[in-house]
Amino acid sequence: MNTFLRKNTVLLITLAVITALFIAAAQGMEKKDFVITLLRGLAVGSITFLVASGFSLIFGLLDVLNLAHGTLFMIGAYIGWTVFVRPDTFVDLLTPLALILSGFALADVYPFLATRIRLGLSMKRILPWALILVSVLIFSFILPRYPISIWDVENYGQSPVTYSFMADSGTRLPAPVAVFTEIAAPLALIGLVLASMIGAFGLSLFNSETQQQFKLTWKNFAAFAILLIVALLTFIFNESLTAVLTGLSSNWLFLIAVVVATLSGAGLGALIESTLIRPLYIRPIYQLMLTLGMSAIGIEIVRSVWGRPEFVMPKPAFFNGTGGVCPATNFADWWANNCSTILLLDGRVRVYNEIFIPIIGVIVLISIWMLLQRTRLGMVIRAGVQDREMVEALGINVRRVFTMVFGLGVGLAALGGILAAPSMGLSNAMGESLFLNALIALAIGGLTNYPGAALGSVLVGLIQQFIIKYGQIGIAIPFTDIIFKPTPPLVPASTVLLMVIILLILPNGLLGKKE
Amino acid sequence: MKKFLSSNRASLITLLALILLPFIVGLMDGESPMAVLANESGNAKFAQGLAIEIFILALYALSFDLIFGITGMLSFGHSMFFGVGAYLTGISLKTLGLSLPATLGLVFIAAIVQAILFGLVLPRVKGITFALVTLGMGSVFHIVVMSSELGPYTGADVGLQGVIAPAFISPANERIRFYFIALTILILVYLLYKRFVDSPTGRVCIAIRENEGRARMLGYNTFYFKLAALTLSSLTAALAGFMHTLYQPIVSPNVASMGFTVTALLIILIGGVGTLNGALVGAVVYRLLDFGLRRYIGESASFISGAVYVLFVLFIPFGIVGTWRAKSFQINQGWQRLRKLFG
Amino acid sequence: MTTEFILETQNIRKQFGGLVAVDNVSIKVRKNSLHAIIGPNGAGKTTFFNLLSGNLEPTSGKVIYKGQDITHQPVHRTIHFGIGRSFQITNIFPNLTVFENIRLASQALGSDNFKFWQASSRFKKYEERTWNVIERVGLKERAQTFARTLPHGDQRKLELGMILAPDPEVLLLDEPTAGMASEQVPELIALIQGIQKEGNKTVMLVEHNMNVVMSVSDAITVMHQGMVLAEGTPAEIAANKEVQTAYLGGLYELNV
Ligand SMILES: Nc1ncnc2c1ncn2[C@@H]1O[C@H](COP(=O)(O)OP(=O)(O)OP(=O)(O)O)[C@@H](O)[C@H]1O
Ligand SMILES: [Mg+2]
Repeated sequence: MNTFLRKNTVLLITLAVITALFIAAAQGMEKKDFVITLLRGLAVGSITFLVASGFSLIFGLLDVLNLAHGTLFMIGAYIGWTVFVRPDTFVDLLTPLALILSGFALADVYPFLATRIRLGLSMKRILPWALILVSVLIFSFILPRYPISIWDVENYGQSPVTYSFMADSGTRLPAPVAVFTEIAAPLALIGLVLASMIGAFGLSLFNSETQQQFKLTWKNFAAFAILLIVALLTFIFNESLTAVLTGLSSNWLFLIAVVVATLSGAGLGALIESTLIRPLYIRPIYQLMLTLGMSAIGIEIVRSVWGRPEFVMPKPAFFNGTGGVCPATNFADWWANNCSTILLLDGRVRVYNEIFIPIIGVIVLISIWMLLQRTRLGMVIRAGVQDREMVEALGINVRRVFTMVFGLGVGLAALGGILAAPSMGLSNAMGESLFLNALIALAIGGLTNYPGAALGSVLVGLIQQFIIKYGQIGIAIPFTDIIFKPTPPLVPASTVLLMVIILLILPNGLLGKKE
Repeated sequence: MKKFLSSNRASLITLLALILLPFIVGLMDGESPMAVLANESGNAKFAQGLAIEIFILALYALSFDLIFGITGMLSFGHSMFFGVGAYLTGISLKTLGLSLPATLGLVFIAAIVQAILFGLVLPRVKGITFALVTLGMGSVFHIVVMSSELGPYTGADVGLQGVIAPAFISPANERIRFYFIALTILILVYLLYKRFVDSPTGRVCIAIRENEGRARMLGYNTFYFKLAALTLSSLTAALAGFMHTLYQPIVSPNVASMGFTVTALLIILIGGVGTLNGALVGAVVYRLLDFGLRRYIGESASFISGAVYVLFVLFIPFGIVGTWRAKSFQINQGWQRLRKLFG
Repeated sequence: MTTEFILETQNIRKQFGGLVAVDNVSIKVRKNSLHAIIGPNGAGKTTFFNLLSGNLEPTSGKVIYKGQDITHQPVHRTIHFGIGRSFQITNIFPNLTVFENIRLASQALGSDNFKFWQASSRFKKYEERTWNVIERVGLKERAQTFARTLPHGDQRKLELGMILAPDPEVLLLDEPTAGMASEQVPELIALIQGIQKEGNKTVMLVEHNMNVVMSVSDAITVMHQGMVLAEGTPAEIAANKEVQTAYLGGLYELNV
């Protein structure tokens, strides 16, 4: 006990100072304000935590600073929005996406194929490029002709903003069902599969080291087959599936949106790791440039697909009741009416933003903790963060673990995105500001420390919200009549300052371990 | 003399091309050299403008390469070095009404002060933590210049407007003069950097990048070397900021943002980290790519530039200059073969 | 041989968490002697060197050099006192040439480190010194190769060269022959002996090859689990019962 105190003096003093500051902050405001601010802080902290924890897992295990993490958070939000507001688009997209991915699912087969091809040296150089070119040409021929009913960012009447607004008021504008133009459906489907296989084969040729395992079993084709079946089924039952989804209550649809966004995030992460990041483990600086480039590409994709204006994603009905006894004063009233707000100590608290999100934050915190502590994968991850070489020496398939962790990290960010969308709204810049928050949180808590990520995120959220609140009510400076109102720029500045101070005292953050 | 000429042929040709550039562009456009010298508007003037922007970017990229590529310190707050120069120049000329030399002196003093400020954290934090602390300091500066309280001085989020450069280097009326002054400054700074990297001090900086612990064991107090690199870098970046304010009608707060640090990083990654020539080449490629894409593609230019960076990383991993050096033997062989083919 | 002690430690101790790596070690090193430290793996020899050279702060105890307490001096001061240290695990600048590695070591103690306006090739005295050292350790043919591409044995020579360059009075050599092919070992040991005799230097040597240790050292300290097990001349150590059972027993053929 004594040695614990001695070793962590600085940490304990820092924590004590922070706690004292919070108590002081609480003195200055009414109870209801305090509770609301506390809850808001926790909510911001939860979203920050979802981004920060994924980033920190990736950095800890893979040593990759994923600067595109904020952008992936944003992409999660936009994907979730699409499922929620335009399920028809989502269903339309499933088939081509599954087909495009199908070729990559055959990754194990290509090395086998490659050994069968005997070519001259110069041909061997050209072949991958030629294959990729062919695949890109086929894609660019088919995809514009493939029917996907989508919105129109140029036309306000059919823009995402309008669809979002209509969905919030309960009406869904059925967009005209798109049809194939200039191309026969079977041809388009087969073309997509072929182009995907050609492209994936071309890409795999760049990895010249051939794997030794040449035995092909049915397992190597399983993912491919599943993707094909999914694609075909959604293609055949497109209309009935759309009808089912559109008919669902917004609660179910929201749940589906959350699941889809998280899974797409995880899939995207795994894809990025296995194709783009993997060749760069030996050149760490270039990962920075790669992730920066991906970030720019991601933002641009979002801009051109969903447009630049900000819009709000409607909340599911479960959190959106109004009228009657709302705002609810007790739990039973809230449960019966699904009020969007409840009264806590006379303060109006928004249920989704200020109660639901922190709860989800805690649930995720605990589940990842369990994953890390209780499962084999978690054990490998923890060991890998400590000492990567040792894990490799143990003969664990590190590649697969890396891919999984990258997927997990990005999936968490995407989950954060879709959860934040109904409260923060969707904008092209949402990723950037949250990413800065997450970085600060991690620096405060300790870059590769899981509890540290949680602590840092909560601190960042709380400080920001308290300063915003004090910006409204003002701080009475003791012994004077002056009331000081922190201005909005002080919100980011305060957390940044806190980070700088903490890093100067504890270079590895509050909970990061010493060298 | 002859030896000097032959061993520096490439640099001398580049220099000559840069001196002639405004006139050649003018001639292609049917303008006489006299007209170019008289600053008549036309393509020549436009090309000078683009080149001036590239020179300023190159200065800024050089300064980043010195601390990141040469000394191995990853700073995410580098845009602050540039921003302090740019904003201080504007405030000094516009609000304080100081003369140009006084302004430059003020900028240099501020640059030294902020290098010491960054230096203060050096002994405590290393590597990625240094990156985060500098990111923090840079963001605070960005927030400060954006804050509405300082609006009258910094122009808050609109940017600093209405700074009038002295008439003799006015970018509108005396652009050719501005062009040659900027070119001269760039060349002088480049030569200074070349010398620095080759000097005893610079060699120790490289040793620090390679293995700081060993450099300390050899008896170097690495703190002072890092501080020296930071100071030189800060002075250069502030000088670039100074020229930026003189040249641009508006100083956007973006130059103090994290994004502008990333620009420096991209430039030297394109050109080749740790190679001074790389910073110059990178600045040219970066600015022309950006310009060309915006002009011919428009809105979604950053999509393409993002894709180009990703391709760069995957296929030209050591940057243009770095890859050139690594492959110069093969490239040379290729030349020989070509020569044989044609005679 | 003079009886003056140049370097000594007083009850020096280093603890890593619960593990005491160096436990109250007090030794005295005679000037101009070759003092060997031996002990099984994990005995704390490298840690002891780290305490001497300032790479680690001791938990308690003192390091005295020429009567002066240097315990809490920063690591970059060590060489300025005249104590040079080489590493068991090769610690060089991998992406610089052999020449540049040693040139950096030669330049360190000079007063020209901050002359950033002059090319380093202008400082001939460092270059001369560098060439001397390169020749001495036998890397002349490889002067312009990158250190990382050197074979292991040559990297060990480079490591030695980097501490010869500043010409320290005391050399702390942590297993200079580690990982070398056995036919190269005598050559390197002869080199070390030569340097010590000619330059009147004090050498502290960690070495596992018992035959080498017994034949070259003036004094031997045996460490075991962080503590000093025995001290004395090679003959005394060879005769020591405790050392025989705890460490040497049956492992080495002693031909003293
Ligand atoms: N930085 C450190 N942190 C924790 N324990 C350490 C550290 N350095 C050394 N140790 C431990 O201290 C003990 C002594 O190690 P040291 O390297 O000094 O032994 P050694 O005598 O040099 O062994 P060898 O002959 O293998 O080189 C070992 O148990 C080692 O694991
Ligand atoms: Mg050892």
